[in-house]
Amino acid sequence: MIVCIAVVGHQNNPLYIQSFTEADDALKLHHIVHCSLDVVDERVNNPKKSGPMLNETFLGLLYPTENYKVYGYLTNTKVKFILVTTDLDVRDADVRNFFRRFHSAYLDAVSNPFHVPGKKITSKTFAERVTNIVKSVSFHTTG
Amino acid sequence: MEHYPEELRTPPVTLVCIVGHQDLHATISTHLHSEQPPINTLALPDFSKISVIDKSPKEKENQLPSAYTSSGILKRDWLLKHRTRVPAVVAALFDADQLSGDAAQWLQVCTDLENLKTVARGRNIKLVVVIVVRFNSKDSITEERMVALRKRAEVDAKYVITFIPDDTSELNQSLNRLGNIFGELAVTFYRDEGRRVKTRLEKKNYGSIEFNVRYCFKVAIYAEFRRDWAEALRMYEDGYHALREYVLRIQFELQMIGTSTRLPAIQRLVEIKMVAELFHFKISTLLLHGGKIVEAIKWFRQHNASYKKLTGPTQVNFLHWEWLSRQFLVFAELLETTSATISSSALTVADRTSSDWEFHPAYYYQLAAQFLKEKKACVEISVSVTPIEADEGCDSIVPSLYVGQFARLLDLGETSVMQLITDEEYTLFALISEGKRLGDSTEIIALLKKANEAYDNFKSQRAASFCRLLMAKEYFLTSDYTNSKHHFDKLTSLYRQEGWVTLLWEVLGYLRECSRKLGSAQDFVSYSLEMAALPISPISSRQELKDCGPAGSPSLKHVESIHKEVFAVVREETLNDEEENMDGIKVNSDHPLHLEIDLVSPLRVVLLTSVAFHEQIVKPHAPTLITLSLLSQLPSPVEIDQLEIQFNQSECNFIIVNAQRRESSSISNIHPDRRVETVPVIQLFTNKWLRLTYDIKSVNSGKLECTYVIARIGPHFSICCGAESPANMNDLPLWKFEERFEASPTKDPAIAFSGMKVTQVEEPDPQVDLILGSAGPALVGENFMLPVTLTSKGHSVESGELKINLVDTKGVGLLSPREAEHSSSSDNLFVELLGVLCGPTQDNNDNIRKVQQSFGLVSVPFLNVGDSWSCNLEIQWHRPKPIMLYISLGYSPSSGAPKVHIHKSLQIEGKTPVVISHRLMLPFRRDPLLLSRLKRSPESGQAVSLPVNETSILVVNATNCTEVPLRLLSMSISEDEVTPKSKTKTTCTIQSGIDSDPSLLVPGEEFKKVFTVKPELNVSKLNLGCVCLRWRRDHESSKEVVTKQSLPDVNLEFPPLIITLECPPHGVLGEPFTYFARIQNQTKLLQEVKFSLSDSQSFVLSGPHNDTTFVLPLSEYILSYKLVPLSSGSLQLPRVTITSVRYSAGFQPTTAASTIFIFPSKPQFQSEPGKKFSPADQAPQQIPA
Repeated sequence: MIVCIAVVGHQNNPLYIQSFTEADDALKLHHIVHCSLDVVDERVNNPKKSGPMLNETFLGLLYPTENYKVYGYLTNTKVKFILVTTDLDVRDADVRNFFRRFHSAYLDAVSNPFHVPGKKITSKTFAERVTNIVKSVSFHTTG
Repeated sequence: MEHYPEELRTPPVTLVCIVGHQDLHATISTHLHSEQPPINTLALPDFSKISVIDKSPKEKENQLPSAYTSSGILKRDWLLKHRTRVPAVVAALFDADQLSGDAAQWLQVCTDLENLKTVARGRNIKLVVVIVVRFNSKDSITEERMVALRKRAEVDAKYVITFIPDDTSELNQSLNRLGNIFGELAVTFYRDEGRRVKTRLEKKNYGSIEFNVRYCFKVAIYAEFRRDWAEALRMYEDGYHALREYVLRIQFELQMIGTSTRLPAIQRLVEIKMVAELFHFKISTLLLHGGKIVEAIKWFRQHNASYKKLTGPTQVNFLHWEWLSRQFLVFAELLETTSATISSSALTVADRTSSDWEFHPAYYYQLAAQFLKEKKACVEISVSVTPIEADEGCDSIVPSLYVGQFARLLDLGETSVMQLITDEEYTLFALISEGKRLGDSTEIIALLKKANEAYDNFKSQRAASFCRLLMAKEYFLTSDYTNSKHHFDKLTSLYRQEGWVTLLWEVLGYLRECSRKLGSAQDFVSYSLEMAALPISPISSRQELKDCGPAGSPSLKHVESIHKEVFAVVREETLNDEEENMDGIKVNSDHPLHLEIDLVSPLRVVLLTSVAFHEQIVKPHAPTLITLSLLSQLPSPVEIDQLEIQFNQSECNFIIVNAQRRESSSISNIHPDRRVETVPVIQLFTNKWLRLTYDIKSVNSGKLECTYVIARIGPHFSICCGAESPANMNDLPLWKFEERFEASPTKDPAIAFSGMKVTQVEEPDPQVDLILGSAGPALVGENFMLPVTLTSKGHSVESGELKINLVDTKGVGLLSPREAEHSSSSDNLFVELLGVLCGPTQDNNDNIRKVQQSFGLVSVPFLNVGDSWSCNLEIQWHRPKPIMLYISLGYSPSSGAPKVHIHKSLQIEGKTPVVISHRLMLPFRRDPLLLSRLKRSPESGQAVSLPVNETSILVVNATNCTEVPLRLLSMSISEDEVTPKSKTKTTCTIQSGIDSDPSLLVPGEEFKKVFTVKPELNVSKLNLGCVCLRWRRDHESSKEVVTKQSLPDVNLEFPPLIITLECPPHGVLGEPFTYFARIQNQTKLLQEVKFSLSDSQSFVLSGPHNDTTFVLPLSEYILSYKLVPLSSGSLQLPRVTITSVRYSAGFQPTTAASTIFIFPSKPQFQSEPGKKFSPADQAPQQIPA
């Protein structure tokens, strides 16, 4: 189950963060998203470690916590998407697919002429669309 | 790792035993220890001590019930025993004397050997016999004694060796021999032992699965003893898997039967985990030391996954968490020591499935801390559930014989007995020993600190911050508010910078609570204000965040309550419900509170002040407008009692008072001279600029800058805000990421765009006239006087200073670029300021006067209103050049007042006064042949040639090219002093008689003077000297100026032929006269000369017409003609053409030279009638050819 999805801007500032959990750990998810930015930074700054992924927007698994898996995605404009899921065995292809859909939702949101680039995304439509995407996606466990 | 006993942490080292000959023990054990691989030595002084390594004696004590004996997995001291007590090899050292000695000694040897054999055989220990021999008596032992000894000892011949201690090389050999044999035998021993146990494993010849695990462990340890790491690893893994199987079987049993066969459930779980931990530790160590980091991490992951769920019953949960935490801690420590040795570059092959972070110890430290926290929570729960009463029974519980087991030690007088305990007793024991231990918090903090540092080294600042956050929270929980605050404080900057409002909110909430607990009103107020002004967007407040610490979830409701609370504190109002929380936090007359907000302060969101002058330049004392704009992001309106605006010129400071709160504002402490403005209300609304515009008068010239705006709220609280210019105001931190309406601080968009908090106050207008009298262009060479006049019209002039600057109009400076490279002597300057001549009134003593070549500084005396003062600048031009003269006057209108400056400039042309030119001429009708003239056309040559010993004529012209009349005083040719050749003699005689009477040259007029030059020496070049012209302006006061111009050098030539035409100055119609052409040969050669005469209609002539003749050396030939003029007027004489054959040079007199005026009749000259020119008198001698 996806528990948190975040859009992070150029200065590593959160542009949009939403968690989908009933438990009390929403703030913990914020922390996880924030910490995983370290890995994104490292991946972006040391591209040779992740050689073949040079032109790839999907950053893969960032951060294995005990109970979550964190995946990252970097758009061409260097906006980061971070996904936190409780499914511990996820196929990359599913995550990629999710990110692709999320990216298009994000594109639509920032294409709004009233949106100022670099500011937080406050669109309710975007929030609803994200919720729908998250609900529709279920990562099939392979194992 | 320190939890583990030493023998587990280090790889096992072979143990050998030496008996007898105590004096050699130190040497031998040192040598063996330095062997590669090292060998530890158990040194027994004599054979009576041999029983220590015997099997039997120690297993008598601590007897357990027989059912218990077999139920452990690993014996606690088995490894230690093998590392310290059970040697692989025993060496018996005998002295050679003992062998060769008498029967009693031999018997003793045999007995000792016998005992040793018994002990050794019980454990399969290998035996070595060492005979210590002196170097001198090497061969003293007989062969049959050796054989007998060997038979007694039942060893191979090669295991009976001699040892020679008293010779260095022999000693070394003996030691090496001993070492080799020990090494070899130890390997055999451990292999045999291992194989023995392994056979049991392979045959499945064991009673229960515990034995399986135990045997695996033993085989692995034996393998480690002989450094067979691969085998050891394999056996450890086998043992681990066997244990896993055991766990599964127990679980199965529990599920199926509901009871367990042997140990109570809790204790068994503890034991299994303990053993698993041991196996895992060994495996990890071996993997990591083998450099297989990826495998080790995989193994750890698997280990973690297998055992993580085995939490056991709730009341002993904490044991599980502690165990799990220890797994992570130990692995982190192992990883850390390994990564120190193995460079991280070896890790680049990390497979994609495992994250990079798993390679960093920090990750494991962090999780260890997390689990320890979990444990702490569980302990608290368990303690609350199970009441702990001090039970003596628990005191006697000790670790039992097996790893991970505990038993009660019953003291039965002489012996003691281990008794099994129940799970309840065990739980109680665990809880009590937990209570005795040091607080977990310290440990958690230490772990987090390690993680934080490790993340920091790894440049993962966010993860490091997260660890710091956990650490700070832990400090907070343990009520260590100082440390907690310290760490929380460090976190804020990162979260502020990256705009993580929720995280910042949590941290600030803690900080606020810490400052409340620490009683720091200053911190409490500033944290509260910052929290209240955080951008809590509806999106983030829509989701309730529960675990946000003391501040609660970030929501508008909370923000407002914080706002209310903090303003209640600063306004010194009492809120009843908060009374008890606020005991430390007081703002009153004893504790006034003053906050400062600068450009980088996080409190800019609370109060942002922008100050803009409407004009960038103002006149002194003229009013200008200033707009003061205040912005606050606090959620509720804020009322300010009083605003004080401070400038760098404190006379301009003023205060704005809120009329509604006049009584509460501390107006009493205001300076009485201060300007006070009153407004009905000063209230700031969220995100709405409060704009106040006032006029302001500056007093002093210079910069006027608004420095601070101090807002006073309540009687003892003030916020001092650094004023900012709207033109270069930074975005508000945090709020810049929010979608909000951003208004400009001033209404006028131009001021919002370019307004500054600083304005320039001009100087007061000068009321002194500075007049530069211009006297037209200056002339090169003269001392040009320029009058400067100061007239005071409204100001008195005090400590005035006149600065004079001469600048090239092109701005290059007064030196020509090439000349500037050389030393700047005055010659190189085109224009020079010679001095300043002040009026005669003042004495020069107290004048500051500094005159340089292009710069001057003159002090001006005190002038009253209406006075004037003047001076003359004396400037000399060396070259014609226009220059710019800048004069600036600085003065104070009254003593101490700021200086006022006046600037004037004037362009002055420098002009050449006279142009001097010259011309060299030959004498009339006398033409020397100059060969150099033949070679080129007459006009093109640069250097003029003069004939030697002939008189030439020099005409010098001086033309006035100025616009003013000049008086010429004299003109002369002086010898150029530059020329050192004084022997070159030039005769110059002045023919004009104008010396006495200086002539006036009007503009454009030319003055000529004729000199004759007769070169007398045959030098090739002749310096004519220079023309020296003395002149002055036609003006009474002007001074005489000398202008010099040197004449160019001339070439001298020796003329081979000179032709002189002689003819009377005039003729009379009908009267005959004689006309000679005299050809003078100056060479020592015979010169062939052709001549011809062209007829003229105006004359009748007689004489040779056409011929070739020879002129003898150093003589002359005269052509003589008799002419009778036939008409009157200016007539052309018949032209003679003379050609020198040798030089192929032709001569024809010029038209002027061959013109004669014929009077119609004989003229009557009045003046000197007697002296009449008669050409006949000068009739030349005819020289025959």
